[in-house]
Amino acid sequence: MAVKLDHVTFSYNVSDAYRVDALKDLSLQIEEGTFVALVGHNGSGKSTLAKLLNGLLLPTSGDVRIFGNSTLDPDKIYDIRKSVGMVFQNPDNQMIASIVEDDIAFGPENLGIERQEIERRVEWALSKVGMSQYRKQTPFKMSGGQKQRLAIAGVLAIMPKILVLDESTAMLDPKGRSEVLKVAHELNKQEGITVIHITHFMEEALNADRLIVLDSGRIAFDDTPEEVFKHYEELKAIKLAVPWETQLAISLKKVGIDIGEGTVKDEELIDNLCRLL
Amino acid sequence: MPIIVKKLSFTYSAKTPYERKALNNINLQINEGDFLGIIGHTGSGKSTFIQHINGLIKPQEGEIEIFDIKLTPQKRPKVNLRALRSQVGMVFQYPEYQLFADTVEKDVAFGPKNLGLSSEEVSERVRQAIEMVGLDYEAVKDRAPFELSGGQKRRVAIAGIIAMRPKMLILDEPTAGLDPYGKEQILNLIKYLKTHCSPTIVVISHDIDEITRFANRIVVFNDSRIVYDEPMQQLFKHSIQLQNMGLDIPRAVKIANSLRDRGIDLGEGIVTAEDLMAAIVERYNQKHAAQIDKEACVFDMYDFSQKWLTSEERAELEGKPNVEEEADAPKTVKKNKSKENDKKQKKSKRKKE
Repeated sequence: MAVKLDHVTFSYNVSDAYRVDALKDLSLQIEEGTFVALVGHNGSGKSTLAKLLNGLLLPTSGDVRIFGNSTLDPDKIYDIRKSVGMVFQNPDNQMIASIVEDDIAFGPENLGIERQEIERRVEWALSKVGMSQYRKQTPFKMSGGQKQRLAIAGVLAIMPKILVLDESTAMLDPKGRSEVLKVAHELNKQEGITVIHITHFMEEALNADRLIVLDSGRIAFDDTPEEVFKHYEELKAIKLAVPWETQLAISLKKVGIDIGEGTVKDEELIDNLCRLL
Repeated sequence: MPIIVKKLSFTYSAKTPYERKALNNINLQINEGDFLGIIGHTGSGKSTFIQHINGLIKPQEGEIEIFDIKLTPQKRPKVNLRALRSQVGMVFQYPEYQLFADTVEKDVAFGPKNLGLSSEEVSERVRQAIEMVGLDYEAVKDRAPFELSGGQKRRVAIAGIIAMRPKMLILDEPTAGLDPYGKEQILNLIKYLKTHCSPTIVVISHDIDEITRFANRIVVFNDSRIVYDEPMQQLFKHSIQLQNMGLDIPRAVKIANSLRDRGIDLGEGIVTAEDLMAAIVERYNQKHAAQIDKEACVFDMYDFSQKWLTSEERAELEGKPNVEEEADAPKTVKKNKSKENDKKQKKSKRKKE
């Protein structure tokens, strides 16, 4: 099992009056190779969950295991951090070098990997995110989408088995968002990397294998996106929504025009409309 | 006329190897009452443009006239930037990162204080601004801004701007990073501010489906130029060109276009979800001899309409405080009553949430 959370509670300010339970007795298993979308309102515990996965935070109670290793075990924490790569929201905060290849090499260099292997990994990681031609350039003048793809490449150079995207598309324009999403799906399909994609854009969850919905530190839904999006009233009650097309289908169904569930591919939606109109 | 921009050009790092033209001969007139959307991909010049309007960047070429204040490349006469910024309120991306004071009240008061207003005037404006963004003044004024939720923090940041009572409001990606509920709140707030605070509003957003929900005019930046400046309903005749520029078009337009390709023409001017649904219902009625009411079909996301009404409007809607009864009462009492009412309703609303 790639990820296993066993009755995990995490509280900020444990000892004082401002104690906040960000995650409450949460249990969860993620199989290797799955593409998981994780959604939830602001403050639902998504980012806390992400940070628990590589030991940036340790559970107040319960146990987080990555490929069987507990994040509470100090001897295993470096193995865990090698296998769980994280990409955060702001592309500008994740660049450390002024030349792309130096930036990608930073991770493996710190693992004491020999030079030839680093070279190979830099080349591979850049090709995986479609940025090979930028190897000798500076990242600072690039678009947000390009910077995020570089951030992913920097993580890939450590050869992680799990990639956590913590709202990595939030600050990007639509083009940048689709670039990053495409790279994440390719890594999942071609390299078998387990992807945990945290997002506020419901439509980004549509192509995931599994959609987990958090609400106030607990799991509210955990199913395929198609199934979860059927519960639009409940989703609204926890400050979420359904994708635009799904909302369209729901609104039309209410007045008696049935164009399906609206969680299907665009062409299928058009087919359904054509049949009716 | 609030804003006239003439032949504005701007180059970053001029005369260096990194020279890059950000604005190229921009001409634009923003009228009072405009609800203007600005779109364009990253690096198209839209941010450079709005920084000019707020006096953050001095024009290199051309000139800008904003409410009788003239910005030109000349050094003299000196521009009264304080006057400019109190008239043009600017809400940057992720404005909550700029909260700094230890209480909400102090944070919101920072702007009006710097306008040199009396302390009574400042506190009155602060109270109004906080209530205007839909927060309970008494409940939040002494709290640290950092304790609030993401959407609340953003609203406090916006309150800090509207406390200066700007005649015009510019918002850069106002909903970025919020959950769907927070997004809807901010969108409803912007609509509310248009009628109750700043009659002219400019919004920059990557989300075209968001812009089309309120804009009446859209300006498109591409490669440092304005390529389109059209009423919202007209713009998407240029769907193909917009997509070639790497821009999104509204989902309703995409669906209408795909249907047209398949021989089903739903007619012109479909931009929003409501437009699309009305057209679908009409066509469905014709084909199936049905009689579905267009009005009954609503794209119901969240309904915040109640939250952003003034207490008077809300009272009217609910028909509650009896106007006849209150007509004789002294004015102050009336004000208090409606305020109380306001709070009660907000509380009950919160409970529901």
